Amino acid sequence: MLSSQGTVPRIAVESLTGCAGELLVILENLDKLLPYVRVVSFPFAQSQNDSGAVDITFLEGSVSNPHDLEKLKRIRAKSRWLVAVGNCAVWGCVQKSACSHCKVEDMLKAVYGQDSKIEVLPSTSLDEHVKVDVKLSGCPINATQFLSVTANLLQDHLPYITHKPVCLECKLKENPCVLIEDNLPCLGPVTAAGCGALCPSVGAACYGCWGPSQDAQMDAMAVILQEKGYAIDEVLNRLQSFGAPAKLFERMKFEVKNERV
Amino acid sequence: MLKPVVLPKNAFKLFFQSLKGLGTVYAPVKVSEKSYSFKEVHSPEEIAFEALRTILPPKKFFYPQEETLIRYKNGDFEEVQPEKKFQVIFGVHPCDLASLGILDTIFSSEPADSHYLKRREQSLLVGLSCMPDKHCFCNAMNADTAGSAYDLFLTDTGEEYFIEIRSAKGVELIKSLAEKVSDANPENHEAYKEFWKKREAAFSHGLETENLRSLLDLEWENQIWDEMGKRCLSCGNCTPVCPTCYCFDLVDIAGLNAKEGERVRQWDSCQFVGFAQVNGDFNFRATPADRLKFWYRHKLHGFDDAYGFKTCVGCGRCTESCPAGIDDIVQVVKILQGKKENKHYEP
Repeated sequence: MLSSQGTVPRIAVESLTGCAGELLVILENLDKLLPYVRVVSFPFAQSQNDSGAVDITFLEGSVSNPHDLEKLKRIRAKSRWLVAVGNCAVWGCVQKSACSHCKVEDMLKAVYGQDSKIEVLPSTSLDEHVKVDVKLSGCPINATQFLSVTANLLQDHLPYITHKPVCLECKLKENPCVLIEDNLPCLGPVTAAGCGALCPSVGAACYGCWGPSQDAQMDAMAVILQEKGYAIDEVLNRLQSFGAPAKLFERMKFEVKNERV
Repeated sequence: MLKPVVLPKNAFKLFFQSLKGLGTVYAPVKVSEKSYSFKEVHSPEEIAFEALRTILPPKKFFYPQEETLIRYKNGDFEEVQPEKKFQVIFGVHPCDLASLGILDTIFSSEPADSHYLKRREQSLLVGLSCMPDKHCFCNAMNADTAGSAYDLFLTDTGEEYFIEIRSAKGVELIKSLAEKVSDANPENHEAYKEFWKKREAAFSHGLETENLRSLLDLEWENQIWDEMGKRCLSCGNCTPVCPTCYCFDLVDIAGLNAKEGERVRQWDSCQFVGFAQVNGDFNFRATPADRLKFWYRHKLHGFDDAYGFKTCVGCGRCTESCPAGIDDIVQVVKILQGKKENKHYEP
């Protein structure tokens, strides 16, 4: 890909409300990109930044205040490809989940006091406001996937990102199943892979931080966790922690059965 | 086939040393409270002789979970060949040997999979007898005897191993142990027969498979598929653990400079929604019920016409690995046959 100026492609790495996890992954891998791109804006890592047009912007974080929204629109306007990186940007993450449980104004008052002048918005993912060209989830993102996405975009190809479940990566590593053997509330079956089944590989339950897998069967997951003795409130909380959209829970209409073949 | 021989158990260490002399030895190892896995072992003490089923079947030694097939650079490409490395797989039970026989047929059908065949060539398979548990039904699937895909097969007759020798590689190994093994005498043969009689009597599944072929077609619209589909997580656990599932995905990993990259294949699963999704956002098997039903048919009937065998070997791995409890093939077939009331899968 040649940039609009006919020179080396220009990239920007920006953030809204997030934990800088994706920025760190990108920073750690920046040396691999540097021969092929010019990093014109990366406020987290460099002091000289240019706000001009770019070929690719990698944007992390959710939209959680009016300033974020303004910045998002500005970034969208200057970017040929907008890549949402990380769960916050793709799904809205824990802050979106919190906003579905209680009013954002109440949270503001509880944290910053009654008279706070801070402006807030209920947290949302990027695609609720602008067109997002590529969504690369993660918590944080996987470096190999990030480099592969970049390689594709540099060739003007939209990358293919799979959303198979964590169970696949877990089985390929031949881990004992913590959901079956230990009855842990593992969300591997409904969570997008890419982390290398990090938690189950050390005997812990997946808590869904990469967001839902493609066609995640939330209702079946809830039934199975309830059969293991987890209360439905606890189960729903767990399933919704990382911004999984409400429409995935529409089919939830099962009665709980404990009897099995 | 040579005449069988007998190896006293107290000479197993020497037998193991001979295996080690051939290459890397893999055997079942205990990896958790309930699970076993084929892993590299350096001494007989590491082997879990009691292991019935490992998490992944031995197909992983010939068709690894992930492998680079091609590397390309500046317009040229090279095919990546499997590593030259002799491997000994010890402790393979009859169902898994039967599964390798099935995979041998499939992978050697044209266009043959040279990677699989190469790895098969540079390996020695040592079978080991076992006693079935409640999930085993290999004898109902014609997969309860050692079949053809082995070099040596050990039957545990108490004080000795009764060893059947199938291949030239097996003969060589036994020859190297000439001082420790002896030809099986009538008494040993009796003990061998006794073991297999006892084993046959230990199966508790009660599965009859004569009408499977028509059953899967006739019961295609049975409501059990939708009922089970509602419980299905589409996690895909049933397929990597299946000793005869071989579907894969190909991924091109491009280098940043657009001049080089590689093509990788990784195990895939028909249980994932993207598996049968094609251009135009059309999906041949859009729901978990569609995919689950497809898999059952594939295992129990799909290969009847093309190959004349079924690809389920009755190892029970899917039953044990399904978090939703819907891969209990024995019970599902009985329900389809009308021999068991379906009161468990109703929504």
